[in-house]
Amino acid sequence: MPQPAAAVRAALNALPRATPRQLVRTISTARAAPAKRPIAPSATRPLSQTHQSLVQRRFYKTVEEAKSRYRSGPFSWKAGLLFVLTGIGLVWYFESEKERMKRKRIAEATKGVGKPKVGGPFSLIDQNGNTVTHEDLKGRYALVYFGFTHCPDICPDELDKMARMFDLVEEQRPNSLTPVFVTCDPARDGPKELKEYLVEFHPKFLGLTGTYEQIKAMCKAYRVYFSTPSNVKPGQDYLVDHSIYFYLMDPDGDFVEALGRQHSPEQGAKIILDHMKDWRGQWRKD
Amino acid sequence: MGLFGLFQSEEDKRAEEIRKGTVAPTRAERQKCWASRDLFYACLDKHNIIDPIKDEKAATKKCSSENAAFERDCAAQWVTYFKKWRVQDIQKKARLKELEAQGAYKMDVQTEFAPKKD
Repeated sequence: MPQPAAAVRAALNALPRATPRQLVRTISTARAAPAKRPIAPSATRPLSQTHQSLVQRRFYKTVEEAKSRYRSGPFSWKAGLLFVLTGIGLVWYFESEKERMKRKRIAEATKGVGKPKVGGPFSLIDQNGNTVTHEDLKGRYALVYFGFTHCPDICPDELDKMARMFDLVEEQRPNSLTPVFVTCDPARDGPKELKEYLVEFHPKFLGLTGTYEQIKAMCKAYRVYFSTPSNVKPGQDYLVDHSIYFYLMDPDGDFVEALGRQHSPEQGAKIILDHMKDWRGQWRKD
Repeated sequence: MGLFGLFQSEEDKRAEEIRKGTVAPTRAERQKCWASRDLFYACLDKHNIIDPIKDEKAATKKCSSENAAFERDCAAQWVTYFKKWRVQDIQKKARLKELEAQGAYKMDVQTEFAPKKD
């Protein structure tokens, strides 16, 4: 920062030194003009003449010099140089300031100011038994939904909605969205159960499960509330309480927006497509 | 089940597993359950029974066949859940009606899945 600031200061310091002469010169030329004309009343003539002579005595040694000064007007190479230097200094200052603000914004964004920290690294198993991590989701947007296969009414509805949203997005921008279903009930939802369940909604859904600890960490990262009733005996039936949002994640794995039950599939798809239009980063090619 | 378990057909075994919650129902099984639930709800509506858990006696007496079908087609947990849900839903609707009568502004919030795919 010191360099551009110093340049401006130097330019500003140079300014007062240059101005008085220029100012006086402008006044002198303005006053001198009517004096040359014969129309002006005779009373004013001696006054303006004394003024002119005063000014002349102060600055110009000869009439020739005064005449040459008058011809060039208020512009001189010094004024021109000052103008150019000040211009360069200001441009330099504003450019560097702009760059600084940009860096500041990026730094603050990663610090999480005004941006919810949802999501993060994970390692889970998909419905085919393969390990899936956050790295596998990068390069595409991801729509993440949490639920469980024994869910009585809301999850099946929402998964149908997710399938419709996915199809709508896929029509416009093929291969740029991964629909992800994460179970909140890892005790009962293994890869086999997930596979049977999800294939009825959409063949492209990615189902994720893991150990109880892994799922708990995943839910915590996504700020998902879920509760399995305590003291469940093996084989006993139960329902799981959980949050019902779709989490839209960008290709860097950062949280973008949460879609809720109030959004129709068409509205949801539009929101997702609008975000995709804004995305300036990398897309996965495969 | 005891001895009868031996004579159970595949289909009955599957239905039993769904009721006990050992397996998750498929889409068709879910729809069968929801259909039975709606019939049960309709019967309760007809007899002005709001809470089938509190008014269990009246519910089982007036809607015994519907209740039996409901319990046959859905997981036991779902039956309890849907019975409780009915009370909440009726209360919610009544409250909304009350608010509307008071001139409350209704926000455009969609809670139903709009176009059914199937």
